[in-house]
Parts: sequence; structure tokens; C-alpha cells
Amino acid sequence: MTVTEIQTQTPVMTAATLYDALLHNTAPYILDVRNPDDFARWRIEGRAGLTVENIPYYNFIEDEDGAVARVPADREVLVVCAKEGSSQYVADLLRARGVNASYLAGGILSWGHLYDTRDIVVAPWGRIIQVARPARGDVSFIVISDGAAAVIDPLRHTAPYLEAIAAHGARLTHIFDTHVHADHISGGPALNRETGAPYYVHPYDAIHPIDMLPAVIPYTALDDGQVFQIGRVELRMIWYPGHTLGQVNILAVAPDGFRGLFTGDGIFLRSFGRPDLGGKGEAWTPLLYESMTRRLPPYLDDATLILPAHFSTLDEADEAGRVAAPWSVVRQTNTSLSHMESEREFRSFVLGNLPEFPPQYVEIKRVNIGLRTPSEAEAEELELGKNVCALAK
Amino acid sequence: MELTYHQTLDVKGAKCPMPLVKSRKAITELPVGQVLRVIATDRGSVADFQGWVKAAKNIELIAQEVIHEGGQELYVHYLRRTA
Repeated sequence: MTVTEIQTQTPVMTAATLYDALLHNTAPYILDVRNPDDFARWRIEGRAGLTVENIPYYNFIEDEDGAVARVPADREVLVVCAKEGSSQYVADLLRARGVNASYLAGGILSWGHLYDTRDIVVAPWGRIIQVARPARGDVSFIVISDGAAAVIDPLRHTAPYLEAIAAHGARLTHIFDTHVHADHISGGPALNRETGAPYYVHPYDAIHPIDMLPAVIPYTALDDGQVFQIGRVELRMIWYPGHTLGQVNILAVAPDGFRGLFTGDGIFLRSFGRPDLGGKGEAWTPLLYESMTRRLPPYLDDATLILPAHFSTLDEADEAGRVAAPWSVVRQTNTSLSHMESEREFRSFVLGNLPEFPPQYVEIKRVNIGLRTPSEAEAEELELGKNVCALAK
Repeated sequence: MELTYHQTLDVKGAKCPMPLVKSRKAITELPVGQVLRVIATDRGSVADFQGWVKAAKNIELIAQEVIHEGGQELYVHYLRRTA
């Protein structure tokens, strides 16, 4: 007699499936089995209400009963580790004990590398596509019209942009960074090398604010008030110093009256970009006040869609994953904007709410203007975790 | 630094969690007071072993070192069974 052993395969969840569940607030209980130091540095975050707990995998080896007892027996559990091995080990063990456990394919690394591409606006004149890296809270955009494409604030990996542009039969003609970023490595210079499309930044951002050294990457200087035509969409550069000296907001105006404002690290949906990442918070705060109260308002109307480069919490995204809202909504729900009566009030609010300054941000700015070229491993390390470009609330 | 050890466990090429799983088994088979030397290629083992000995009741992490050998980095851990 042959006995057939029935192997019940432990289910695997991909990072993309997890993201969808996080957006819909249907994600399982997340059990992170990495060591506590790695867990403290960064972890999976979702909407308010998500439960993420840390029980290192070696606790399941040392004291299996004790560790299992800490895991809810009546919930779906997603086990996460660095690369996959330990989470599969723990998920197998939990399933043998009757827990409905699965594990994250590729570990938290694959979550960190997830790029999410979705349409924000689809119109007769073309479309605006959002490309986000959810683990980092980084958001970037592609504007496509009449076969031409512009990317705004592209993230480090270029494939998602090239694929989306090709899928719509368009050609990349302009690459913009609203500013030289501190929290992530820009994909702008790489897209420029790969496609030949010009890479635009404001010249004030082409000097490292702390090193006082000029950029050594090829870039084209953009100007306040300059207008670029992408098919039927007009992109207007609005100088908005404060977060950096050379930050611009980019106003998109389409023939049907659509207005979208790519705010970069200016106004976010629930906060706004901090003025201290160049090491000159005191000096740059009045510039930021001027930008927010005088430079930008002439271009804002209630229908203008605010399209920021970051979110701090996933609750800023809607169920469809769009990190965008009309100004009529943002000006009411973004409570950080209610400290603008005077420069004095603004200054005390801003300087009293600066989050920690991640030391690697100085180095990332060097990378972004070509002063340093990190290896892939170094780039990974520099970009670990979520951005902290917003003022704390 | 010259360290005394009584047994060596080679877990080169093994990925997380195997270096730790095998180390646990090996140290359980070791008499109390003796030292196990573990040779791993998994970089994550460095932080994980540090966390593990805090959670474990009868293991002391005496030392960790990185050795460059044949173009690869080896992470060597010295563990003593204390009870």
C-alpha cells in the first residue's frame, strides 16, 4: 500500500497583493520576525488600524510554545522577514499549530522595491500617471499627451517609467525634478542617460547646500515662469523656495481647463515640506513662508488638483491608491496650513515641529548631483525606510 | 585575537533561518561550558545572533568576527553553552 503524503503548501502573498489589501484596509495581522533593531529602523505601515507586531524568528526556535501563544489564533497572519526564509519557517510552524498563516514573497525587501503605477487623470488630451513607491511614501508622475511624455520627480528605478510611457506609445521628452531630493536617489539622471531626454532642475538646487559644491551631472537649468509644452498640456514652473532654495511647483494646464499642481515637497495632503534639510532651517523658514503665502496662491484655485511627491501615512491615499486631492479639500483638511497668520506664528510652528534629520540625507543629496556614486548595496542602504520630508504634526 | 573553541559548525551558503537553527541544535548537543564556533556567509546572522542570545537562556555570545577568505566574507560567531 502506498501512502500519499498530502503536502499543504503554505500560501505566499506578493508585495503588490499586500499593497492592495493595505489600501482597502483588509490586510492580515502582520507578524514581522526580523530582529528588533531592523524592525525599529523600518517596517510595513498601512492605514490606521493595521496591526504589525515583532516577534523575532529565533523566539520561535527558543520557546516555540511561548512565541506561538503571542500570535492571534483567530486571525489571518502574514509573516514577514528580511528576505523570505525565516518567514516561511515561522509560517510553516504556525500552520502546523492551526494558525491561518502565509508569508510575504521576497520578504520586506520586495515590499521596499514595489513600484505601483496607476492613472490619476484620464482625459481626451492625455493622462497623468502616478508612480509610487509605497514603502517609502514616495510619489512621482508621468504626464502624457499627443505621444509626448514628461516625468516629474522620478524615483531611482527607471523601468516603471519607461514601461508606462511605452505602453501608451509615447516618447519621453522632458525629465523634471521639482527639487534635488534628500530622501531618495532620483531616477532623473539615469533616465537622461538612458533616453537622452533633458533633465531639468533649478540651478539653485545644483549646488550642494552643505558642501557648497556644484553638480557634476548633466542637467538643464529651469527658470521661474518657464513654460514647457507636453503635447496639449502646458507645464509652468513656479519657483517655490523654502524646502530647498531651487524647488519649483509645476502647474499643469490642459485645454479642457484641468489644472494640476505638482507640489514636490511643497504642500503635501496633510503636511508640508520642512525647511531644514539643507542645514539652514532658520534662514530658509522665511523663504518658505513667502512661497506659501505669496508666490503660490495666485496659481491655486479650488479645483486645482494637488499632486505631492510624498505621503507620510497611507491614509493620505484613497482606496484606489491615488495621493491627490483638489485644493478645496486640501486647504480644509491639511491642518498644518492653519499657522500662517504671521511669519512669526509660522516660524514658531515650523521650528517647533521639525522631525529628526536623518544623517544619510546629506549624502543622498551628494548622490543626486553626482558628487558620489554609490554601489547598488549602498544605494539600498541609503534609501532604507520611509521618507521624513514633511513637518511633523 | 586567539579564541578557544571546542567544535566548529560550518553553515556557509545557508540562508536565514538555517544558520541559527543549526547552531541551536549544535549547542544543545555540546557539554555545558564548551564553545561552538559557527562560520556563516549570511550577513544577517551578525545582528540575528546578537538578538538570539538575548532571547536564549543558556547561550553566551563571546565574540563575532568578519574574515575575508577566497573573495567572500565569512561571519564567525563564538557561542558558549552556559547551562
